[in-house]
Amino acid sequence: MKYKPRTLSEVVGNAESIRKFTEWVKSWSEGVPKKRAAFLHGPPGIGKTVCVEALANDLGLELVEKNASDYRTADAVQRFAGLASQYGTLLGGRRLILLDELDGITGTSDRGGLRAVTEIVKAAKCPVVLVANNAYDPRFRTLRRYCLLVEFKKPTIRQVMNHLKMVCAREGINVDEESLKFLADRSGRDVRSAVNDLQALAQGRKRLAYEDVQWLAERNRKDVIFNVLRTIFYSKDCREAKRATDQADVDRDMLFQWIYENVPYQLTDPHDLAKAMDYLALADLYMGRIRTTQNWSLLRYVIDFMTAGVAMSRERSKPSGWVPFRFPERIRWLSGTRSERQMLSKIGMKIRKRCHMSSSRAANEVLPYLRVIAENNPEMAKGIAEWLDLDNDMVEYLMPNGAK
Amino acid sequence: MWTEKYRPKTLKEMVNQREIVERLKSFAETRNIPHCIFAGPPGTGKTTAALCLAHDLYGEGYREHLMELNASDERGINVVRETVKTFARIRSIGEIPFKILILDEADNMTSDAQQALRRTMERFTETCRFILIANYSGKIIEPIQSRCAPFRFAYLKREDHDAYLQYIIEQEKVKMTDKGLDAIYDAFGGDLRRAVNSLQAAASLGRSIDDETVYSVIGRANPVDVRDMITTAMKGDFIGAREKLRDMILKYGVAGSDIIRQIHIEIFRSQLPENWKVKLADVIGEVDFRLVQGADEEVQLSALLARLAQAGYEVQRGG
Repeated sequence: MKYKPRTLSEVVGNAESIRKFTEWVKSWSEGVPKKRAAFLHGPPGIGKTVCVEALANDLGLELVEKNASDYRTADAVQRFAGLASQYGTLLGGRRLILLDELDGITGTSDRGGLRAVTEIVKAAKCPVVLVANNAYDPRFRTLRRYCLLVEFKKPTIRQVMNHLKMVCAREGINVDEESLKFLADRSGRDVRSAVNDLQALAQGRKRLAYEDVQWLAERNRKDVIFNVLRTIFYSKDCREAKRATDQADVDRDMLFQWIYENVPYQLTDPHDLAKAMDYLALADLYMGRIRTTQNWSLLRYVIDFMTAGVAMSRERSKPSGWVPFRFPERIRWLSGTRSERQMLSKIGMKIRKRCHMSSSRAANEVLPYLRVIAENNPEMAKGIAEWLDLDNDMVEYLMPNGAK
Repeated sequence: MWTEKYRPKTLKEMVNQREIVERLKSFAETRNIPHCIFAGPPGTGKTTAALCLAHDLYGEGYREHLMELNASDERGINVVRETVKTFARIRSIGEIPFKILILDEADNMTSDAQQALRRTMERFTETCRFILIANYSGKIIEPIQSRCAPFRFAYLKREDHDAYLQYIIEQEKVKMTDKGLDAIYDAFGGDLRRAVNSLQAAASLGRSIDDETVYSVIGRANPVDVRDMITTAMKGDFIGAREKLRDMILKYGVAGSDIIRQIHIEIFRSQLPENWKVKLADVIGEVDFRLVQGADEEVQLSALLARLAQAGYEVQRGG
C-alpha cells in the first residue's frame, strides 16, 4: 500500500480519461456543470479509486469516501445525502464525494439505494464521483443519464512494468526485466495486484530473480494460499484444518514449506511453537517413510500432522493482530543459490572420483577443509586442485582471491 | 589429499579393527569371499578395508576386477538393474573366478532398489561378490542381510587414532602438541577421515599445530557456531536460531548428523538444570534416529530448536 499513487502524475496509464475527469472536477469552480456526477468505470485494480484520491489531494479537496455498505438502502443513503447538498465544508474548503464499489449494490432491497443515489446526483452541489466495474449494467441505466462517463482501460504490460520498476528502484530492489514482465503479465495488467505480489515476494530482500516470481503461476494463488494458512493457523476444528489442503493449489511440499516458515510468526508462545514444530517434524518423518517404503497410504498422516496438528497446537498464543504471512525463505534460498550449489556438487563429483565417497558427502566433509586450505596455503591447494583435476571455474570458486 | 595419500593399500597396513582385518586376511588367503556387509560409523575404515581386501586378493591389478558404486549418487533401481547386472554377469579372467562389487552407502538405497539388488546378488553369485557398505545395517533389508557376512566397524580406539595421526605427522614433517591431538579426537570422536582432513587443513596454516590451530580450523570449516545457535534458541529467539541452522545446512553444507552431535555435547556442557539435560537428550536422540531414517535435516533440527526455546522459557520461569 506504500506505493499507492498520491498525486495524479503517479497514476499508471489512462492519461486521456484522467484529463477528462480532471477538467470536469475543475469546471465546478465556475459553477455547477450539466452533469453533476462522474461515473468512472473499468476493470479492477487499474487506478479508478486511486485517481479520485490523488486528484482530491492535488486540488486540495476534502474527500468523503463511501463504500457499498453505506448506500445499500435508501435510508443509509439519506444519512449522508446532506453532505452533497452543501456547497462546501464548514471550514470553507471544497468537498468531493466518492461512492466506491457501486457494483456492490445488488438485489431488490438495494433498489431503493440506487434510486436514492440518483436523487443525490440530481441535486448535488459538489462533485460526486461514482466508481464501478461495469457502467453498462442495466441497473445503472437511469443513473447513467445524469453522469459523465469516464472509462478506464487496462494499462499496457510495459506501463505496469515501468510502475513496478519505479517501486523497485525506490526500495533498492534489484530485479530483472523478465521477472517484471512475468509479474505484470500474471496480474492481468492489474497494477494493484502486481504491486502487492511484488511486495509479498520482495519483502526484506535486495534481489529478485525469475525463479522467485515464477511460483506465482496464477494471479490469485497468493490469496488462496493465505486463506489456507489462515485456516490452518486459526482453526479449532481438525476436519476444517485438514480440508484446507484441498483448496491450496500449490503442491503438498510447497504447502508444507509455507506452514513451516510461518509457524514461529503465528504461534508465539514457546509451548505452542514447540508443539507445532513437533507435529511438522512428525509430518516430515512420515514423508521420509513414504520415500523409503513407497507406501503412499501413509500420506494421510502427513496431512493430519501438518494441518490439524498445527491447528491444535494453538493453546496459549494470542492472535497478535494481523501478522502477514511470509514466503518460505527456504524456497528462496534454494532458488537464489542454485548456481552455487551446482558448483558445489560439481566439485563434489571430482572429489568423489578420487576419495571413494559420494559427491554429497564429499561436499559436506571434504570441501569445508579444502576451503580452509585454499585460504591459507595456495601452494598446497594448487597441488590438491591438480590432483582432483578441478577446472578453472572450480579453482576460481575455491580461491576467489587469486590462484596464479 | 592426505586421506588418500595415507589410505592403507593392504590389509597388513590397516592399524585398526583388528578382528575384522584378521578375518578378511583369511578370506584373502583362501581366495574366496562371501557377500559382505561392512557396517559402522563414518571414517572407520569400511571402504579402505574393502579396497585392501580386493588388493590382497588380486594383487596390484586389482582395479580390473573391481567396481565401486556409490548408492547415494546412483540410487535408482535402474542403476542396480543395468550397471550392476552388466558388471556382475561377465566372468572374471584370471585365477579367481569372481569379481568384486563395492556398493558404498548402500543404506541410502530405496527398498525397491534393494529388492532388485537381492535378485542380482543371487543370480550372479558365481561371478560376482558384493561388499555392501553402510552406516547402519538396519537399513539394509532382511533378505540381503541374511545372505551376507556381517562386519561391524567401531570408532577407532584412542591409541589407534593417535598412532595413525602420529605417522602422518612424522611423514609430513609437521609438529603437533598433545593438546592438538586431544582437540582433534574430541571433535571427531575417532572418525579418521575428518581427523585427517582437519589435520591437513591445520597444517596449511603452519608447520606447528596446537589445540588453538585445530579449533580455528574446525571453526572455519563450520562457520556457524552450534553453541551460538543453542544460546539464541534458549533466549527465546527461535526465528534467529532457525536462520543460523539454515546457514549451516544450506550455505556451508554442514551435515545434520554433525550438528546434532555437537548439540548433544553442548547440552551437557551447558548451565541447564541437570534434569533438563536428560530430558533434552531424549529429544536429541529421537531426532538423531529420525535423520538416520531419512527425515529432513532442517525440519527435524528446527523442531529441536523449538524444544530448546521451550526449555529456556521454562527454566527462566522456574528460576
